[in-house]
Amino acid sequence: MADQNVVLRRNRPGTKAENFYRWCDEAYEEMDSTLVVQQYIQQTIRLDHNNIDTILNAPETQDEGVWKYEHLRQFCMELNGLAVRLQGECQPSTCTQMTATEQWIFLCAAHKTPKECPAIDYTRHTLDGAACLLNSNKYFPSRVSIKESSVAKLGSVCRRVYRIFSHAYFHHRQIFDEFESETTLCRRFTVFVTKYNLMSRDNLIVPILEDESAGQGESEA
Amino acid sequence: MDEASSQNQLGGSANPAGVANRQNLEEPSQRIQYSIPGILHFIQHEWARFEMERSQWELERAELQAKIAFLNGERKGQENLKNDLVRRIKMLEYALKQERAKYHKLKYGTDLVQGDMNPPVEEGGEEVRVDPDAILSTNTNVSWKQSRHLLRQYLQEIGYTDTIIDLRSNRVRSLLGIDGGGNEENHNSTPAMNGSDTTKRMPDANRWNVTKKTPSCLEAQIQDAERAVIDNFEFLRSEGEDAEGMEMDDDDEDDEPEEEDDVHRLKSPKVPKVALDVDDVDGESVDLDPDFRFLPDVEDSSPGVLGFGPGSRRVYGPGGEEDALEGLGELAQLTVTNEADATYDQISSTKENFRKTWTAKYTLRSHFDGVRALCFHPQEPTLITASEDATLKLWNLQKTVPAKKSASLDVEPVYTFRGHLGPVLCLAMSGDGDKCYSGGIDGTIRIWNIPSSNIDPYDSYDPCVVGGSLPGHTDAVWGLTYHGQRQHLLSCAADSTVRLWSTDARSPLLYTYAVEKDGIPTSVDFVYESSNQFVCSFNTANCVIFDLETGKPVTRLDTETEQGSSSISRQINRVVSHPTLPLTITGHEDRHIRFWDNNSGRLVQSMVAHLDSVTSLAVDPNGLYLLSGSHDCSIRLWQLDSKQCVQEITAHRKKFDESIFDVAFHPSKPFIASAGADALAKVFV
Ligand SMILES: [Zn+2]
Ligand SMILES: [Zn+2]
Repeated sequence: MADQNVVLRRNRPGTKAENFYRWCDEAYEEMDSTLVVQQYIQQTIRLDHNNIDTILNAPETQDEGVWKYEHLRQFCMELNGLAVRLQGECQPSTCTQMTATEQWIFLCAAHKTPKECPAIDYTRHTLDGAACLLNSNKYFPSRVSIKESSVAKLGSVCRRVYRIFSHAYFHHRQIFDEFESETTLCRRFTVFVTKYNLMSRDNLIVPILEDESAGQGESEA
Repeated sequence: MDEASSQNQLGGSANPAGVANRQNLEEPSQRIQYSIPGILHFIQHEWARFEMERSQWELERAELQAKIAFLNGERKGQENLKNDLVRRIKMLEYALKQERAKYHKLKYGTDLVQGDMNPPVEEGGEEVRVDPDAILSTNTNVSWKQSRHLLRQYLQEIGYTDTIIDLRSNRVRSLLGIDGGGNEENHNSTPAMNGSDTTKRMPDANRWNVTKKTPSCLEAQIQDAERAVIDNFEFLRSEGEDAEGMEMDDDDEDDEPEEEDDVHRLKSPKVPKVALDVDDVDGESVDLDPDFRFLPDVEDSSPGVLGFGPGSRRVYGPGGEEDALEGLGELAQLTVTNEADATYDQISSTKENFRKTWTAKYTLRSHFDGVRALCFHPQEPTLITASEDATLKLWNLQKTVPAKKSASLDVEPVYTFRGHLGPVLCLAMSGDGDKCYSGGIDGTIRIWNIPSSNIDPYDSYDPCVVGGSLPGHTDAVWGLTYHGQRQHLLSCAADSTVRLWSTDARSPLLYTYAVEKDGIPTSVDFVYESSNQFVCSFNTANCVIFDLETGKPVTRLDTETEQGSSSISRQINRVVSHPTLPLTITGHEDRHIRFWDNNSGRLVQSMVAHLDSVTSLAVDPNGLYLLSGSHDCSIRLWQLDSKQCVQEITAHRKKFDESIFDVAFHPSKPFIASAGADALAKVFV
């Protein structure tokens, strides 16, 4: 198993930003920690964040519930980057409600009674709420196996966090485009929820896959 | 006359009334005339009275003897329990040792030399088996049997038997610290595995992380003896699942109708309520897996060890009081030495050597990725964590999620700080706890105005929390430390500079120390014992004390003599300065903690402190204890004067080859904390 000369994958103090997480990849089969799936997902994203099919392609032996769960964790984590950018521009005075197109007003589900939070609060509250839910010891006590009933919760989290993409797309297009070009996150998210049937197609209102009108989302923007 | 008198005599017994008459008539002439029948009668009467008293005394005696027997029984039971616990502790220690040895062997290819490696099983089991037999055979005393019989009759007569035994068994259990019969039912209806209670009961078991499980295990045994260890604590998990099963109703409530809420209503993603730390239990026992497999056998070898099972009536078997009474007359044997006593005493005395045993109490879950740093508020029971998920979170330890069954409570953050783009690596808090500073891989140091710890986590966004940034560094900021009196902040970064900041000035950057010739700085700290120095550690294993005013090196710690071969293994991950002594402490990638004299730069002591690289160090505010964290998944507490490890706690899991990133002492409250690559932070009390 562990040899003396084995590569230790560590970001030691003093590591330069460019070298952070820059180590030789580890095969999925050789990862033996309880956080294998997160490790693997992050590794493939770092390799090429545009290669959505590879990123979303679960290793054969991988439990699908955990796979979806860990991907959603990763999405919420990366969405933080979009929230930070929105924080500067999306003011409660200008975006008083969470809207995308004029069709819907989204109520914030983080409160005891759903509230008409301004867009930036909706964004923060939804991400905070998702962090709580996805880390909840009640629903997700383990990151190795997940109950079916808990997997069922992932859909509603997806629907809510998707609205952050849609608000950014329709109201803060520049931020959205910058963010998307850096991360391809909305595209990946869209392919993800489509692939695993976590959201209905009608709700995917950001026309990110429009260039490929075919059903199966393909990569390359 | 003769006839009359003889008639009189005969009539004495036949007709007492006649005697009386006659006596009355004769009284004046003969003062007291004792008639044989009268005397006989009197004697008979008296005899009956004494006999009655005697039997009463006998009953009393029997009762007292029964009491003695019962107390004996109690003692036996306690001893059995004690034996069992001692045995279990030994087992766990053995299991831990084995696991260590295995780990060591896997890691370094050599056998780890450590004390006795024999399974401590046999003595305990045997001792328990032999004892009761001895007692039984010696009790052949006849009078004792009689009184036992008498007592039994007596007890049966008053229909007392069951009640009294019940009562007493309850007392035994209360003596043992196990809740009385009422609770027995509780366990069935509301499985109230109150972890905190158990911890109080057996605090001495907490020395090692494994034995920490014993208290909760104990309680479980008492409810369900055999299940306990057999499944490698699996039962705790199933308890958890049970709990969740019970709460499925809530679940369903939360399950909003899928589409309906899309437009207007969204039900709240309810805050989780369960806090049984299934994850943790799993995490901490998982390492011991293989070694626990032999436990079931052991369990079988000593039947009745778990004497005071569910209701002690069962202990005494169907003929409950009979068994109890077998102990009668056993006073002499009370002095029989119990082997376990010695062991037990040892344990309790070791306990006294430790001032405090820390146990995991709060689990801080909400980060999506490794928690790189944490720091406590100077006074309040709050802390801030910084994570690779690019956020910081504020936690109030007084706002916990109500726990159902576990000693460990879940905490949810009261505020999430967003501002960094990319992982946050280090953290410092101002002396008054109003502000905190975070350094990120993005090269920025951000200033945050900490909101009230009682803020509603879903309050509206207050831009005032974002207090700007300290621009200057051009690469990942890895170290931050705040000096309360000077109100200065010191930072080090991968751009090979150390910078000193004034936190209230308009132009905050006071000084930039270019330190590239010593390598890339990994960690900095003010030297508290001397007013104008700081110490900086490097990835080259250099460690230098600089003058804050001039930026010149004051003392170069003599790290040359203690160097390993590869450059990576030399790296110092963390440097801390002792709060009062001229002592610098460094945590190394090569598993060592080293102590240095600030004045001479000499090595005071070097020790292999962990099984893997030492990543973090913290000294308690009084300068008596050192806390270290390592990628071996454990934190260790050291006594600074003796350099002895007083406690080790397995705290986190690995992500890639990293496990623990930071440890901290609360500056004024009895809390310690650890931050892990598993996205969790834990607080110990
Ligand atoms: Zn907006
Ligand atoms: Zn809201």
